Amino acid sequence: MIRYMKLYYLFCKQNLKVMMEYRMDFLLGVLSVMLQQFAGIFFVKIVFDHIHELNGWTFYEILFIYGIAATGRSIHHIFFDNLWTLGWQYIRPGKFDRLLIRPINPLFHFIADRLQQDGFGQLFIGIIVISTAMPHLDISWGVLEFAILVVMIIASGFIFVAINLFFATLSFWMVDSLPIVWTIFNLSDFARYPLTIYHKGIRYLLTWIIPYGFTAFYPAAYFIEGSGFEKLALLTPIIAVISCIAAYWFWNRGLRAFTSTGS
Amino acid sequence: MIIVNDLEKHYRIAKRDPGLRGAIKSLFHRKYETKKAVKGINMHINAGEMVGYIGANGAGKSTTIKMLTGILTPTSGEVKVNGIVPYENRKQNASHIGAIFGQRTQLFWDIPVRESYELLKHIYEIPQKQYEETLAEFVDVLHLGPLLGIPVRQLSLGQKMRCELAAAFLHRPKVVYLDEPTIGLDVAVKVRIRAFIKQMNARYGTTVLLTTHDMQDIEEICQRIIIIDDGNVIYDGSIQDIKSQFGEKRVIHFELEDSITECVLPEELKKVAKILPRTDEDHHNVSISFSNKDISGAEVIHSMMNQYSVADLTIADAKIETIVEEIYGRGMKGRVHHEEIH
Ligand SMILES: Nc1ncnc2c1ncn2[C@@H]1O[C@H](COP(=O)(O)OP(=O)(O)OP(=O)(O)O)[C@@H](O)[C@H]1O
Ligand SMILES: [Mg+2]
Repeated sequence: MIRYMKLYYLFCKQNLKVMMEYRMDFLLGVLSVMLQQFAGIFFVKIVFDHIHELNGWTFYEILFIYGIAATGRSIHHIFFDNLWTLGWQYIRPGKFDRLLIRPINPLFHFIADRLQQDGFGQLFIGIIVISTAMPHLDISWGVLEFAILVVMIIASGFIFVAINLFFATLSFWMVDSLPIVWTIFNLSDFARYPLTIYHKGIRYLLTWIIPYGFTAFYPAAYFIEGSGFEKLALLTPIIAVISCIAAYWFWNRGLRAFTSTGS
Repeated sequence: MIIVNDLEKHYRIAKRDPGLRGAIKSLFHRKYETKKAVKGINMHINAGEMVGYIGANGAGKSTTIKMLTGILTPTSGEVKVNGIVPYENRKQNASHIGAIFGQRTQLFWDIPVRESYELLKHIYEIPQKQYEETLAEFVDVLHLGPLLGIPVRQLSLGQKMRCELAAAFLHRPKVVYLDEPTIGLDVAVKVRIRAFIKQMNARYGTTVLLTTHDMQDIEEICQRIIIIDDGNVIYDGSIQDIKSQFGEKRVIHFELEDSITECVLPEELKKVAKILPRTDEDHHNVSISFSNKDISGAEVIHSMMNQYSVADLTIADAKIETIVEEIYGRGMKGRVHHEEIH
């Protein structure tokens, strides 16, 4: 474990050096992601200029959900972004072989290979949005509440990771599963709004099948008085752990089925 | 060191009809075809051996090496390297092997070579002192000095391959798999690389399994060769043996002073030699093939010079290259059986 932390630090150092080499890319990346997020928030704002409540949810409540989604997603975006590239950058050009002949866990190596600067934009926005919304919620923020919020956000991040890992793993059988990963990931946009506004089927799907509900709406509902989801919200960290275990199990199955590429 | 018994690998390839219609059809209804890349091979390689693993394109060499390194899980059969089953204990196996796969880099693309090595030092947990010694030695033999500060993506092929080679041997692995390490390199770099491999073997007793299409590599590095064709081992033995078994076929090319359209063999050669199909326009050249068992080269030359006025001649040596070519050729036509070769 300590060995892996040290290795991660060394990989990070190298990644940061490369990032600094391309300083312009760094700034543009961060800015464009921030802009994208702002657009989303702006849209919500416009909607609320016309109505005062959406299905019983106030503007700041929705903003809070949005903030948790953005922050959770940024964990995935910064540290686990390489999951997107499994098929087209690793398996297809044969680069994945290299990870399998190193005496360290190949998933670790694969993840540590990249640090995505653009994710920092997401993180900034998330934090700004959460701190804007927080004072407007009917809750007094103590140390305990803060600690729970942090745990919820980390859990949210790992649910994103687990779901992407699971579908990226399909690449071992089909060379590149990016279109599937992408489609599934887009479902997470639904979870940025209160799930109660959706049809029951969608709600069930996002709770128990592909648990994006736990990346934003449920954890946020924990802090919203009378939302009726406080108990379910407490499952968030457990869902995160279960998803990660399931995804990792699937990944190991994929490794065994891996057939490399000819040449 | 390397034990392989009845090893097989079948690839499952999705088949689809050509065109858009085929693509759409395959979405719903997939047909699979099994490609048997390796069909039950056996080999036992001892520690410190340097073995050439050769065969025509698509024979199954890379597939075998990928199973030995643990990248691929075999369909059936047994593999053991240094007592470890590679695909079951990937990490353990990885710490004492090194590998090079053709032109694919094992190094980190964007960072300078030296820092790549630093990372590898940590990944393989190489003690600092050993690391420094090894690196100094490699820099010396492979002339890496000027390359250390340059990111891998800016290196030429030959420079990159030298850096690769150092990376593969950096942790002093017990076994090294080299899958076409000299592909696309100029002669000078090839010579340096061969010298390096031999030196590693002499100094650290590294076991080497080498795949190449350059027979010069094989002749200079390996004592033993294993030839595979279409997933089967068709020869396993020393280079000396294969030369004496197959090398008795010789060819001598004569260049004649006069143009002779209808060249006939001298009487005494008629039974034991034959004229190869002539390709030149002006009929000055004639090539005669014979077998060492029946007649010596000197006698052939003597008879020819008695009958014709010879301007020049060249004797084609029994090169491993021509021998292997012949074996591949026969193997591919499916005429060679295992027993016939041994
Ligand atoms: N990942 C793969 N999926 C499907 N078929 C493959 C794969 N890799 C190799 N093959 C097939 O298996 C056979 C053996 O391939 P392999 O790469 O082992 O040959 P090789 O001896 O290394 O050839 P070369 O000298 O051209 O490198 C070939 O027919 C090839 O088409
Ligand atoms: Mg090959």
